[in-house]
Amino acid sequence: MERIRPPKIGLVLTLIACSLLLTGCWGKREVEELAPLIGLGFDLGQKPGSYLITEQFVRAKQGKEGVEIQDRTFSIEASSAREAYEKISKISSRLPFMGSLKVIVIGEDVAKAGINDMLDFAQRFSEFRRTMYLVVAKGKAQSILNLKLRNGLLPAIFIKNNLETGDSISIFPQVHLGHYLTVLDTKITAPIIPVLKSIKSGDEGIKYKADGKEGEEIEIQGAGVFRGDHLADFLTDEETKGYMWLDNDINHRTLNTAGSEGSKVNFSGQVLKSTTKYKVSDQDGVVGLQYQIKASVAVDEIMGLKEQLSETEWVDLLNEAEKSFAKVIEKECQLSIQKERELGLDFLGIGRHIEEENPTYWKTIKGHWEEQIVNFPVAVNVEITIQHSGMSSGSPTTN
Amino acid sequence: MRSWLKMLKELTIRPKVKQIRKSPAYSFDEELNKPLSGQTVKEILAESSDIVFREFFLQGKERIPCMLVVVDGMVDKNQLDQFILKPLLVDLAGHPEVAQLTLANVLDKTLQSILPGLELKKVAKMGEAIDAILSGDAVIFFGESKEALVFGARGWANRGVAEPITESIVKGPREGFSETLRINTSLLRRKIKHPSLRIISLKLGDLTNTDLVVTYIEKIASPDIVSEVFRRLGTIKMDSMLGNSYIEEMIEDDPYSPFPQISFTERPDVLAGKLLEGKVGIIVDGTPIVLIVPAILTQFLCVNEDYYQRAMVAVLARFIRYLGAFIALLAPSIYIAVTTFHQEIIPTDLLISISATRQGVPLTALQEALAMLVALEILQEAGLRLPKPIGSTIGIVGALVIGDAAVKAGLISPLMVIIIGLTAVSSYAIPTFDLGLAVRLIRFPFMILAGILGFFGISVGLYILLIHLLRLRSFGVPYLSPIAPLRLRALLQDTIVRAPWWALKRRPQLIDLKETPAGRKGKG
Amino acid sequence: MEKISPHQFMTLGAGVLMGGTFLLLASGVTVASGRDGWMTVLPGFTMGIPYALMVFSLLEQYPRKNLLQISEILFGKWIGKIMGLIYILITGYYGGLLLAILGDIFERSIMPFTPLWVFYLGGLVLAIYLVGSGIEVFARFSEVVFPVVVIALILSVALAIPRIEQGELLPILEEGITPLFFGVLKVMPFAMEYILFLAGVATFLPTEKQEFGQLRTEVWRTTFLVGVLNMLVVIIQILVFGPEETVRLANGILVLGKMVELSRTVAGVESLFMGVWLGAMVIKMSAFLFMVLWGIEAVFNLKGLKWNFIVGAVFLGIALGFTRGPYMLREVSVTESYLMFPFASLWIPILWGVARWKKGAGV
Repeated sequence: MERIRPPKIGLVLTLIACSLLLTGCWGKREVEELAPLIGLGFDLGQKPGSYLITEQFVRAKQGKEGVEIQDRTFSIEASSAREAYEKISKISSRLPFMGSLKVIVIGEDVAKAGINDMLDFAQRFSEFRRTMYLVVAKGKAQSILNLKLRNGLLPAIFIKNNLETGDSISIFPQVHLGHYLTVLDTKITAPIIPVLKSIKSGDEGIKYKADGKEGEEIEIQGAGVFRGDHLADFLTDEETKGYMWLDNDINHRTLNTAGSEGSKVNFSGQVLKSTTKYKVSDQDGVVGLQYQIKASVAVDEIMGLKEQLSETEWVDLLNEAEKSFAKVIEKECQLSIQKERELGLDFLGIGRHIEEENPTYWKTIKGHWEEQIVNFPVAVNVEITIQHSGMSSGSPTTN
Repeated sequence: MRSWLKMLKELTIRPKVKQIRKSPAYSFDEELNKPLSGQTVKEILAESSDIVFREFFLQGKERIPCMLVVVDGMVDKNQLDQFILKPLLVDLAGHPEVAQLTLANVLDKTLQSILPGLELKKVAKMGEAIDAILSGDAVIFFGESKEALVFGARGWANRGVAEPITESIVKGPREGFSETLRINTSLLRRKIKHPSLRIISLKLGDLTNTDLVVTYIEKIASPDIVSEVFRRLGTIKMDSMLGNSYIEEMIEDDPYSPFPQISFTERPDVLAGKLLEGKVGIIVDGTPIVLIVPAILTQFLCVNEDYYQRAMVAVLARFIRYLGAFIALLAPSIYIAVTTFHQEIIPTDLLISISATRQGVPLTALQEALAMLVALEILQEAGLRLPKPIGSTIGIVGALVIGDAAVKAGLISPLMVIIIGLTAVSSYAIPTFDLGLAVRLIRFPFMILAGILGFFGISVGLYILLIHLLRLRSFGVPYLSPIAPLRLRALLQDTIVRAPWWALKRRPQLIDLKETPAGRKGKG
Repeated sequence: MEKISPHQFMTLGAGVLMGGTFLLLASGVTVASGRDGWMTVLPGFTMGIPYALMVFSLLEQYPRKNLLQISEILFGKWIGKIMGLIYILITGYYGGLLLAILGDIFERSIMPFTPLWVFYLGGLVLAIYLVGSGIEVFARFSEVVFPVVVIALILSVALAIPRIEQGELLPILEEGITPLFFGVLKVMPFAMEYILFLAGVATFLPTEKQEFGQLRTEVWRTTFLVGVLNMLVVIIQILVFGPEETVRLANGILVLGKMVELSRTVAGVESLFMGVWLGAMVIKMSAFLFMVLWGIEAVFNLKGLKWNFIVGAVFLGIALGFTRGPYMLREVSVTESYLMFPFASLWIPILWGVARWKKGAGV
C-alpha cells in the first residue's frame, strides 16, 4: 500500500483543523458558567394543566475559608419542564445544568393527579441519570425545598443524604427513577415512593432548640402507594416497615419489643442480616404465597430484667426474645398485607412473584388480579436467630 | 512561486539517495587519486602547522631519503621516538642487513625485520596514506617509492572510561563509552567474549571521514536486519558525519514521526544486552552515544535497572512508568474535556468546589491549560541551560511557584496547577528522553482536540495515534510489537511484567523473521 | 501479498462481527421475543457459522481469491460482475448508514450541540487512515482495540450489577419457543455482515492445509465470544430495566453507563466508554469501506488511494441523507433484513453449491 505523502495529508488535516477552529466550538460550557441543579420539585399549578416547578440551584463562591454555597431556589408556574427552563434562564445568569440533579420531590397534589408526564423530561433528556431519587412530599414540594434547615444544608442535598443513610435503618424504601419506571412497566406491581414532611420542634416526639424563626427539619417516614402513576394512599410507618420486610429490602434494622403486649422483659436489638424468601404454595388447588423471613439479630438492650439468671434460664430468656422479635416483625408484615388488601393495590409484588414461579396459573388470574388480591392467601413465617447479646450477658440488677 | 514550491518540496520529501549539503566547488577526489609520493603529500598537507614532516637519511647500500609525517597531538611521541626513530636512526647501523638496503627493498625490509611495533602495514594509495596520517598514525615515505609504511602510534588526549552522564543507575556497572572508537569496541569485547561478535568498520562523511563500526552477534541477529542496516548506511552520502543524530535521521523509517525509532545508549552493558537480544549496534567515532536498531516502543519505557532489581519490584516500577507516560500524555486533555463538555462525570461536591475556585478566572479551561503548559515547557528548556544545581529544580519547582503566584493573582485556578504539576512530574517517569519529548509534543494537539470536541476529540486523537504507531516499523519490525502483532511470550516475559531470570528461558521473539523489509514498496 | 495470522483473524473478525451491535441489539430482540430475548442472541450469531464454513471450503478450492473473483470464475464474467456490483452497492449503502449511526449515538447521548458532520468527519478520517494503511495494520488495530472493547463491555455489565431488579428474567419461556424465532431473525443479519466481510478478506487468509483447521476454530471462537458478550449485554439490560423499558430505551448500554456510581467519586462514566464504542464502530465501518474497495477492485479493476477518499465521500453523502434519527434507524433495520440478509444468505450457498458441483464434475 502506498504511503500517504506527508504534504497531501498535511493539507487535508489543516483544512479540517481550520474548519473546526473557525466555526467555533459547540456544546462547550465552562464549569463556572454552570448552575448545578440539585433539587427539583413539582406541584400543581394554579391554572389547570400547569405545574408549579421548583428548581433548586447551587451557586458556589470562594469564601474566606473555602467554598460557600448559596441557595438559588426558584418556583415557576409552567406547563412543561422546558418552559420552566426558559423562564428561569431569564433571571439566572448561568446555564442550568441537569447532570447534578439528585432528588425529585413530588408534591402531594400533583402525585394524586399523575406524575408520568412530568417525569418524562427526566427520563428522556440525556443529562439526567436514572439514579435520581424520587420522594413524595406531604403538602407542597415548594415549601419543602424552600425550607431553611438548621444545619445549613440545602434541602435537596439534605434529602439525598438522608435517603442514602436510610440504607442502614431500612425503614423506608429508596426509589430511583429507574426503579420506579421498571416497576411501573410490569403493570402488576404498584409503585411505592417514600414520603417526607417537614416537622417543627415538638412534632413526632422530637424536640430541639429552634433558633431564629421556626427551625424546621425534614423527616422521611412512610411511603406512598401509587395506582399507575396516581397516588392512591399513604402507608403508615409500620406498614412501610412491613413492606420492607416482605420486599427483602432490609439491610440493617433496629427492632424493639417494648409495647408488645404481655411481656415483662423487653428487648431491643439490631438486625445483622435478613433474607426473605417466598414460595408459591399449592394447597388443594388453592394457590397462595408463603413468605419465609430469616433474620439474625444482636441484642443490644434488655430492659425489665430484675434478677440474675443462670445459664439455662438465660438461654430460655433469649428464646423468648426471639419469639418477641418475630412477633414484632409479623405484626408489621400483617399490617402491610392488610393495607394491600384494603387498597386492592399490589405494592408488595405478590403478583410478580406468582408470574415468576407459576406462569401458567398467573395467566388465569392476570385479568382480575386487583379483586383477587383481597382474598389471596398470604402466609408469613418469621424465624429469628439471636447471635449474641453484646458485651454482657445479664443486666445489672438491684438484688 | 516555483522556487518556493521547490524549496518546500526539498524540505519535506525525503529523496531516495540521501544526499545533503553538496560538496563545495572543487573536490579533493582528484588530488587523492594522484600517485603516492612523499612530495605530493607534503604539498597537500603543508598548509597546516600541526603536521610535522621529519626528513632523515638511511645509509644502506645506497643513501635513502626518508620522510616521517605525523600530526602533532594525535600521535604518541614516545612510541615514535622509541620504535621508529631510534631503530632507524640509531640502531640501524648495527643491523645485520643494513648493507643490503636499497631504495627498492628498504620498505619491505623495514616492514619485516627492522621496525618493532604491533601495527605496521603497507599502503599504496594516496587516500589511504592521507587518511592514516589524519587519523593519528605515523606514515613513513622512502624516497620516490609508490608505497609507504603506516605505523600505528595513536595517542591523544581523551576522557577515558568515565561514568555515563545520561544513564546512571543505582546497582550496576558504572563504565560508560568514551569518544574514542577503539576504547568503545574494547569495552564491548569485554562484555561478550565470543567469536560470533562481529565488529565491522565503515567510513562515512566525505569531509570528516568518520570511522564507524557496526556490531552484531552472528546467528542471533537477524540477517535481514543486518543487511538492511548496511544497505541504509550505504545510501548515506554526506560531507559531515559529526555525531549519531546525523545517522539517525538518515536511516530512520519515518523521520516525520515524533516517536524515536532508534534507541541509543552510553553504557556497554546495555549495548551488550541488546546485542544478545538480536539487535544491531552502530558505534560512531567521536561520540560516546551508540545507536541500537531496531527499536520498539516498549523498549523506551524500560530501564536497565529493571534487570538488576528483583522481579516483583521491577514489575511495580514498570507499571508506574507506563502509568506515568499515560498521565503525562492525557491528563491535561482529560481535565479540559471533563470540565468543558462532560461535567456529568464530576460528582456534585467536586463540581461545586471547582466552580467556586474558578470564579473570576479570565481564561477558559483550554486557554489556561495551554498557557500553563507553554510556561512549563519554557521553564524546562531554560532549566537545561542553567548550571547544574539550579537547573533541575527550576523546571518543576519554578512552575509550581509561578503557578501558585498566578492562582493568588486570580489568573488560573488551583486545580489546573495540580494537573500541570502532575503532568510535568509524570513526564519525568518516562526514562528515555526521546520518548519524553515525543509525549510533550503530542500533548498539545490532544489538548486542542479535547477543547474542541471533548472526549470524542480525545478518542479520535488516540485512535489516530494508535494507527500511526501501528504503521510504524523500525527496520522491518513493527513498532508496537509485542502488543500487536501479539507475541504472548514476549509480552509476558519482558513488557508488562518482567519474569524472574529463571523464567526467561527463551529469547523474546520480537522480530518476525517472516516479514522482510526487502521487496516492500515504499517502506524500508 | 499481505497476510494475517490466525490470531489476528480472530480479533479482526470479532471486531467486525461485534461492531456496534451491542448498542442497538437489546431493544430489537426484546421487541421480537420479549423477556426471553437474550436467549436468541447466541443462536442468531451461530447461524453464521455454516456460511463461514462454506466460504472456507470455497477458499480451499480456489486459494487466495476472494469470493468476488470466484464468482467470476464460476459463473462467467458478466454474472460475476453483476454479483460484485450488488455486493458493492449493498456494502456501500450500509457503510454510509453505519456512519450515520455513529453520529446519531454520539449526538443523542453525550454531545447534543455538536453538528453531525463533525462526527461523520471524525469517523471517516479514522476509517480512511485505517483502510489506507492496509489490511495488516487494520488487523493489528483490531488486535489492540477489540480486547479493550471486551473489557469495557464486561465492566459495563459488572458495574450495573448493583442495579439489578431481582427476578426480572423470570418467568422463562412464558410465551413458548415461537417468539424466539423472531428474535433470531433479528440477530442473523449481523452474522451475515461478518460473512460478507469474510467473502472479501479471503485473499489475505493463509492457505496451508493445517491453517484452515485453525481458521475454522477461530470462527467458532469469534462467534461464541461475540455472541456471549452480546447476550450478557442483553441480559443485564433486561435485569436492570425490565423488558418494557429495554424496548423503550434507544441505547440501553449507554444508560447503563450513566447509572454507574462508584462510591461518590466517579459517576456516569458513559463518556469514557463512548471512546471505546467509537473504536468498535470504526472497525466495522472500516471493514465495510474495505469491502466496497475490494468490490470495486474486483469488478472494475480500479485501485489506488484516491478511491478511499471517493468511497469515503459517498459514505458521508449517505450519512448526511439520514440525519433524522428515527428515520435512519428504520432504514438500517430495513437494509439489514431485506437487502443484506437475503443477498448474503443466498449468494454464499449458491457459490458453494456450484463449486462443489464443479468439483464433483471434475472440472
